[in-house]
Amino acid sequence: MKDSQFDYDKYIEDTHKLGRFFLSVGVIALLLAPFVIAYFTNAQVNMKAFSTAVSKVLLIYIPSCVAEYLIYVPLLGVGGVYLSFLTGNLTNLKLPCAFSSREIAKTTAGTKEDEIIMTLSIATSALTTMLVIALGVIMIVPLTPILQNPVIKPAFDNVLPALFGALGYQYFIKDLKLSTFAMVSMVLICIGIPSLIGDTGTMIIIIGALTIGVSYLFFRRTQRKGE
Amino acid sequence: MNEYLALANSKIIYIIVAVILFFVSVFCFTFIFRSYRAGIKMGMEKSLLKKAITSSATFTAIPSISILLGVLALGGNLGVPVAWLRLSVIGNLQYEATVAQIAAQGVGKTLDSSILTMDDLVTILLVMTFGIIWGCLLTIFTLKKYNKKISQRTISNKETNKPSFANIAMVAMFIGLCAAFLGNYVAAFIVNGSSIPVLTAIVSALVMAVFEYLIKKKDHKVLESFSLALSMIIAMIATVFFSLIL
Repeated sequence: MKDSQFDYDKYIEDTHKLGRFFLSVGVIALLLAPFVIAYFTNAQVNMKAFSTAVSKVLLIYIPSCVAEYLIYVPLLGVGGVYLSFLTGNLTNLKLPCAFSSREIAKTTAGTKEDEIIMTLSIATSALTTMLVIALGVIMIVPLTPILQNPVIKPAFDNVLPALFGALGYQYFIKDLKLSTFAMVSMVLICIGIPSLIGDTGTMIIIIGALTIGVSYLFFRRTQRKGE
Repeated sequence: MNEYLALANSKIIYIIVAVILFFVSVFCFTFIFRSYRAGIKMGMEKSLLKKAITSSATFTAIPSISILLGVLALGGNLGVPVAWLRLSVIGNLQYEATVAQIAAQGVGKTLDSSILTMDDLVTILLVMTFGIIWGCLLTIFTLKKYNKKISQRTISNKETNKPSFANIAMVAMFIGLCAAFLGNYVAAFIVNGSSIPVLTAIVSALVMAVFEYLIKKKDHKVLESFSLALSMIIAMIATVFFSLIL
């Protein structure tokens, strides 16, 4: 039953406070972890090697971190963003999972109900992943030969095609014209520049931007026709 | 097991990792309880909220096994606890594997447990963490303002009765995301002749089409929460056959 006393704005405000707390402590803990491990194992962080390697890594990953942030915030809701940026596996797991829950719950992005569904979905997804990995780590000895069995291994090597095949069907039928454009563009770019095959991180941003741009042109054309 | 791997898999590292992951779990549970309670107070159906939880859990279970395989793969050189930590928070397998290689080169070595030392491991771990925290930092420092801006734009569109492009953009973004992966498999098939990923995706799409038909036309609503997980399982079983035949 609906509670008329419930203050949604306060709920969001508290989500920001809690989210910032958990994320700040989480980031500090992760940054401290190498030093704590070094302390207990009498090791030392090689700062010279660190700065050489990290400068290369930042050059590659800062632009994609910023782009991911700008693109995904409107899609995931406040609670979902705090959760997914700390728990990771954003494009290959959290985003498809959250969108699937949105489809099932039939909520619209940006609504209060959607905020709740996104948070529940992403938090559950993160916990499930942690649980599966934790169980796997506990049972690592008996599981290793099974998971690395050469007959079964191709199935696990192809989880993403299996995931995006099913998801692609669900989304492509929503707009066949736009989907054809996106698929043809992606295939042509990758055939033209074969080194981009496998670099889905970069291609998501390029194809995502192209698809949104073209959908905006379609949107404007429909509006003009309506006027 | 060499001395480095014995240390990299030592109890103390497992404990450090478990403490961090326990904290992340508390974060997730807190947000689940809060949002569930808020949903009830907003008048949302309990069954809908529970469905969001069960469908997300079933959705995630299978892809998580492939992340576990990543833990096994990285664990061979970085030790299981460090691989467990890195693949449970921030980042993803593709990032972790690439950056671990770059970081190993940074210490003048390759990612090989027979030549790595604990000094190398803690340096590699710091590089892997430092390289990926920027999304978290942006979230901590700018999310509130950025989200306010987005919300204001949505409200002003609603007030002026302007048809919103936001929803169309979100569907377009997701079409783009799926096309980036699926187009990649088609291009890999054309360029390298690698057929298994594209065949797996086709089987998965066909199975999903059958489920959509059963859900929408035959009213088997119970399948909604499991259609994606089942499509994936069937496609992955087909992959085993494809890899044996092709």
